[in-house]
Order: sequence, then C-alpha cells, then structure tokens
Amino acid sequence: MKYILFGFLAIFSVKLSAQQKQFSKDDNGKFIYYQVVDSQLVSKDTLLQRARSFVNVVYKKSMKPEGSTDSSVLAKGTMVIDKTILVASHPSGEVSYNFVFEARQGKYRFWLTDMLFIPYQRDRYGNFVPATTIGVPLERTPGKLGAGAWKDILNSTYNKVEKFGDEFKKYLATNRVEKTKKNAETISTKKW
Amino acid sequence: MKKLLTAIFTMASTTCALAQEVASSPLEISGSVDTYFKYDFAKNPLNAKTSFVTDHNSVSLGMIDIALKKKTGKASFVGELSFGPRGQSQSIPDAAAGGSSFNIQNLYVNYDFTDEFSMTAGYMGTFIGYEVISPVGNFNYSTSYLFTNGPFQNAGIKATYKFSDKVSLMAGVFNDWNVYSATRGVSAVGGQLMVAPVEGWTAYINALSGAGFGGYGTIVDLTTSYQITEKFKLGLNAANYDIKDSSVPGSYAGAALYPQYAVADAVTIGLRGEYFKVKEAGAVPETAFTAVTLTANIKSGGLTFIPEVRLDHNSDKPFFNKSGAAAPNGGQFSLAAVYAF
Repeated sequence: MKYILFGFLAIFSVKLSAQQKQFSKDDNGKFIYYQVVDSQLVSKDTLLQRARSFVNVVYKKSMKPEGSTDSSVLAKGTMVIDKTILVASHPSGEVSYNFVFEARQGKYRFWLTDMLFIPYQRDRYGNFVPATTIGVPLERTPGKLGAGAWKDILNSTYNKVEKFGDEFKKYLATNRVEKTKKNAETISTKKW
Repeated sequence: MKKLLTAIFTMASTTCALAQEVASSPLEISGSVDTYFKYDFAKNPLNAKTSFVTDHNSVSLGMIDIALKKKTGKASFVGELSFGPRGQSQSIPDAAAGGSSFNIQNLYVNYDFTDEFSMTAGYMGTFIGYEVISPVGNFNYSTSYLFTNGPFQNAGIKATYKFSDKVSLMAGVFNDWNVYSATRGVSAVGGQLMVAPVEGWTAYINALSGAGFGGYGTIVDLTTSYQITEKFKLGLNAANYDIKDSSVPGSYAGAALYPQYAVADAVTIGLRGEYFKVKEAGAVPETAFTAVTLTANIKSGGLTFIPEVRLDHNSDKPFFNKSGAAAPNGGQFSLAAVYAF
C-alpha cells in the first residue's frame, strides 16, 4: 500500500513539475527561451559553422536565415504545436519565432523570442491548416473562456521550444564528419 | 507453427527497421460533434430551403465526424466518416438506402513527388465553393443556397503544382458530383488556381465541367477571403452553373458576402448576405432568393456556441406563413453547439 501511495505521489510530483515549466520574460516583457552554453572543446568558428548548418540544412523547411556575422546567426522560424488526445494527436497551431545565436571563444548563447501563435483549423480535405495569417503574441492574457486552451498552448510551446533547444545544443556539440566516417565502417567476416 | 511465428517476427522487425528510416507522422485523429435547436418563425420546417438545420422547435442532431490521417515519407491518407442526420440522409450520397447509414467525407491517398508537386486520388470534399458539410469548417451554422446547389464532394484524381506560397494550380479528372463510383464514367474535368496576392488574402478560381447535377454542365466559382486586420475578415463566394441542356432546371448564379468581426478574444460576429438566382429552364421560370444571416461564434476551448438569426426572401412566395399560405419571406432562429477535437 505504501508503495502504491508513493507511486501516486511520484507521478503527481512529475506532473506538477511538468506544469510549472514556463517561459521567462525579457526586458521588453516578451517571452524568451534563453540559454548560455559552456563549450570549451569547440572553437568559435566551428560553433558558427554548425549553427548555420543547423538553420540552413537541418531545419531548412521550418527556418529561414535572416542574417549572419562573424559571431552571430539570425533566423526566423515556425514550429507546429500538437494537441494530444490519449495516444493520438493532431496539430493545433503553429508558433513563429525569432532565433538569435551568438558565439564567443569557449561559450555561446542563443534565444528564441517574439513568439506568435496561429491556430489551425481542419480544412475541407481533413488537413490542419492555419486559420488566419495574423499571429497572437504568446504573452497575451486570454479571456476567461479561452484560458484553459491557452494554458495548454503555452505548455506545448514550452515543451517544443525546450526540445528544439536540446537538439540545437546536441548538434553544436557533435562532430558530424567523424560520426559519418564511423557509420560507414564495414565489418569483414573473413577474420575473427 | 514455429516457422510461421519466425516469419511474422521477421516481417515485424523488418517493418520496424523500415519505419526508422522513413519519416512518419503519428496517426492524427480529429473530428467534431454538433447539435442544434431551431425555431422557424412561421412554425413550418418546410421554410428551410438550404441544407441541414431542417427541424422546427426541436433539439436535433447534426453529426459525429471522425477523421484519420497518417503520413509516412511522401505518402499520406485521409479517411473521414460522419454519422447522424447531417452526415447521413442530409448529405449526398448516403452509403445505404433509407438514410440510416453514414457518409464518407474524405477517403483519399496523396503522394508528394516533390515539395511542389503532389497527386491525390479518391473521394474528397469538393474544391468548389466557400462552405462545407462539416460545421467546423463554416462560420454560419445554416448553409448558403450556393452550397446547397453546388457539388458537395468529388471523386477523382488530381495533380497540384505549387509555384510558390502565392500561386498554385490544381487540375484533375472526376466522376459526376457526389458519387462514390461513376454513373457516367470519369466524365468531368476540373481545375483550381490559387493566388495569394497579399498576406492574409487568398483567392481560389475554380472550374468544373462535365457530368453533374441535371446532366452535363459547367460551374465556374470564385472563393476568396481576406483577413484585413486581426479582428476583421471578409469572405466572398460567387458562382455560375449552366446545364448544357437548357430545358433542364438546375442552372443557377449567385454571390454571397461574409464579413466577420471579432468583438472579443472568444466572440466573433458575422453576417452572410446572399443573392441566388435559379435560371429559367423550359417552362420553369427564373426565381431569385435573397438571404441575410446574422451569426455569432462564442468559443470556449473546443466548444463553439452558434446563435443565429436568418431571414430569406423570394417574391415568388416559396415560403409559408403561420397559416400555411404561400409567403415571400421565411425566418428562423437557431442555437447550435459544435465541439471539435
């Protein structure tokens, strides 16, 4: 019985901690996802090259480069937010954002801000498409009627942005050339 | 038995391995449920001259609609079924005689050859017109004369080429309107030009020629909407349908305007003003309807309440007054609840 209660408590705690995740606000009162990463093993030039590659190749379909200097990369992007019902889900909207990356020797930082939500609606062919072209800032305070749905959108957006951030950090820390070579290794059965 | 199990496991693991290599979206499940109350001011259900919302002084059912979609690599499918009066006897066609079965809304497969070029085959919601069968896709709960008299769905094969985000072209061959299998062969050709001249404004110029209502005919349609500001949206639908044999009734022309204004985050007020003319055919004279529908959409999560007042006019008196005599005007109030998931 003790174990069951402990299990429930653990699940409840995990759920609570998941709900508590939320965006910080920047100097202008806008939501921001801001990360500073220590990166002593990778040079500044390599970090920049990998950041450009992440925008131009990995996220080619959802990100558009806006500019680049010898220490920064700017881009605009969109990410699709899903609505989950038990095990199935469907897109509920998309969030557009501005992405900024800056590198220095031994560290880098990046942030996503200016987030706008565009709801999706199902079209006549059963596909989910944007219901409007004008996005709503994620910082807005919704009316009573839409408060619950807006909270779900904020939670889903935070989870997506956090996942994006993790993927970006992993990409910048990984040497793709070596990895490709390693994958291409062949195994001979002629010797033990 | 052992061999069979081994074969099944091998196939399953191969499928799993393949699935890892091909990008696959999760199975999407979505749909809607709707119900309504309608009161006809003349207490006569026959005053409803357009599709759905037919009952008077009754809490009545719309439909339950369930759609599945899955995309694996470049291939995808959509299957969408509806049950309930709106999706059965009041939709065309009903899968079984007697109006007690179901209606297929969409059942098609699609393949994206490139990011720009795709082909689709199966049974699809029509590309003609502004309004659709699903109440989730419409702002007003009652429907327009243009919707009621146009095609609901088309089975066929179509190819779409996207020149840019602002221009795309679709062309295809189709069965006659609203049938799962062709009764007159694959006998219609259709096309759609989409243009988006400025952000927020999208226009579709559609044409469909071949077997349709009343024999062979040609329909030309303009469907456009413009989100002018964050709060104000304007839609327009105009169409002309001519049946080849001019003695057969059913040719029509009309236009409907859809201004909508968001008065609060969750509340939007909209008007539909429509002019619709049934053309003269043989001994049947021309007749024209005008209709004004004032609708509100009040949203709370997935639920939308739709209160609506509708007034119709036709000087040829196709409506009925309280005593059952022919009248030039019809009017109704309805309150619908639509839940989308």
